[in-house]
Amino acid sequence: MTRASLHLAGLLIAGTLAGALPALAHHSFAMFDFTKVITITGTVKEFQWTNPHVVLWVNVEGKDPKHPDVWWLEMTSPGNLTRTGWNRKALNAGDKVEVELNPLRDGKLGGALIKVTNSTTGQVFSTNLRDMEKPGLK
Amino acid sequence: MTRSLLPALLVCLAGPLRAEDQGTVAVNSAPKPGDWAALAKLPDWSGVWTPFISDQNRRITTDPVPWQPQVAAQIRAMEAEENAGRPRGLFINCLPEAMPTWMLITHNALEFLFTPGRVTILGEMDGNRLRRIYTDGRPHPPDPDPTFHGHSIGHWEGNTLVVDTVAVLPQAFLAVSEAVGIPNNGDLHVIERIHLAEPDVLHDDLEIIAPHVLTRPWKTTRIYFRQRARKYDIVEGVCLQGFYAERQDEHGNAIFVPIPHADGNPVPLPPRESK
Repeated sequence: MTRASLHLAGLLIAGTLAGALPALAHHSFAMFDFTKVITITGTVKEFQWTNPHVVLWVNVEGKDPKHPDVWWLEMTSPGNLTRTGWNRKALNAGDKVEVELNPLRDGKLGGALIKVTNSTTGQVFSTNLRDMEKPGLK
Repeated sequence: MTRSLLPALLVCLAGPLRAEDQGTVAVNSAPKPGDWAALAKLPDWSGVWTPFISDQNRRITTDPVPWQPQVAAQIRAMEAEENAGRPRGLFINCLPEAMPTWMLITHNALEFLFTPGRVTILGEMDGNRLRRIYTDGRPHPPDPDPTFHGHSIGHWEGNTLVVDTVAVLPQAFLAVSEAVGIPNNGDLHVIERIHLAEPDVLHDDLEIIAPHVLTRPWKTTRIYFRQRARKYDIVEGVCLQGFYAERQDEHGNAIFVPIPHADGNPVPLPPRESK
């Protein structure tokens, strides 16, 4: 397989996943169950630092060791994440992570990211826009 | 009074002739030093303003929208879908939230620029949306083309900027959330009184007149907090970027490649329909 076709294969996998899950453009977060919090542990597949929602794809070991489950985790925008201490290099492919999330209500492998611990770098990142509801923040 | 004097008197009562009425070409005059100096007398709205999102949500209840009955039925259906975890995505096509919805439901920061004869509001959503508010005394054009943000003129009443906006596209949503709203259906008129309620707290008091969807003008307020730390500086926010994956082509060029969607449509479907 050539380098180009490898890239294409990766894209098709990502595309298939995206197609199976809610659209990426800015939208209501009501499809997430905010009454539930679960934690997953895995390896970063891709960290998509794009507007309007940053997306983290995580490989999580499942029943088939050759084909890990791929979790889709959504956040707010790069601008808002930057204000809460994130940056585009916070997570990188291959990093070991533990993710706390509100899962999708329909049971698919995805959710709204609450907190991620990057075990590779030792850094912890969380996201809550309500933390910005006062003036003069540092 | 002679008949010959009457037209002249009527003109005087109506105020100065507009450039358009005189058949001359309206121009934006070069600002004079005094125009720049006058800006210093305006209130200080510098910095980045972050929205009070919890209050946006609270006001859906405290400032209920006076929807017309046939609209209220549609709204209730959308609310039921959202409450059931099947939100209808009003903005997943990445078209602008438009006026006045940008001010009502944004989760992103905005900033104000004062220049002679104009106030400009810059946001970081929808690909850096902006509003141009003319404060040079001009009227609305007689028949402006409808746009997402309409045509805005403003004037200062003390430390309050009063903004009048018309000519918003009828398709623009009047929305209370990203999943609940209705097209304004035309003849939308928005009057805003923007002012500092506290040194670092800005209020936008809105009066929204939407005769095709509301029974009466809807009055509500949106609140923003001033930030000065540089990590709050506005960044570019191109909505459509989320539809593309960052990849390389066969030559090694960095390219954007569309992420396909469930039905092959470039405009994604709401989550409920895209399963």
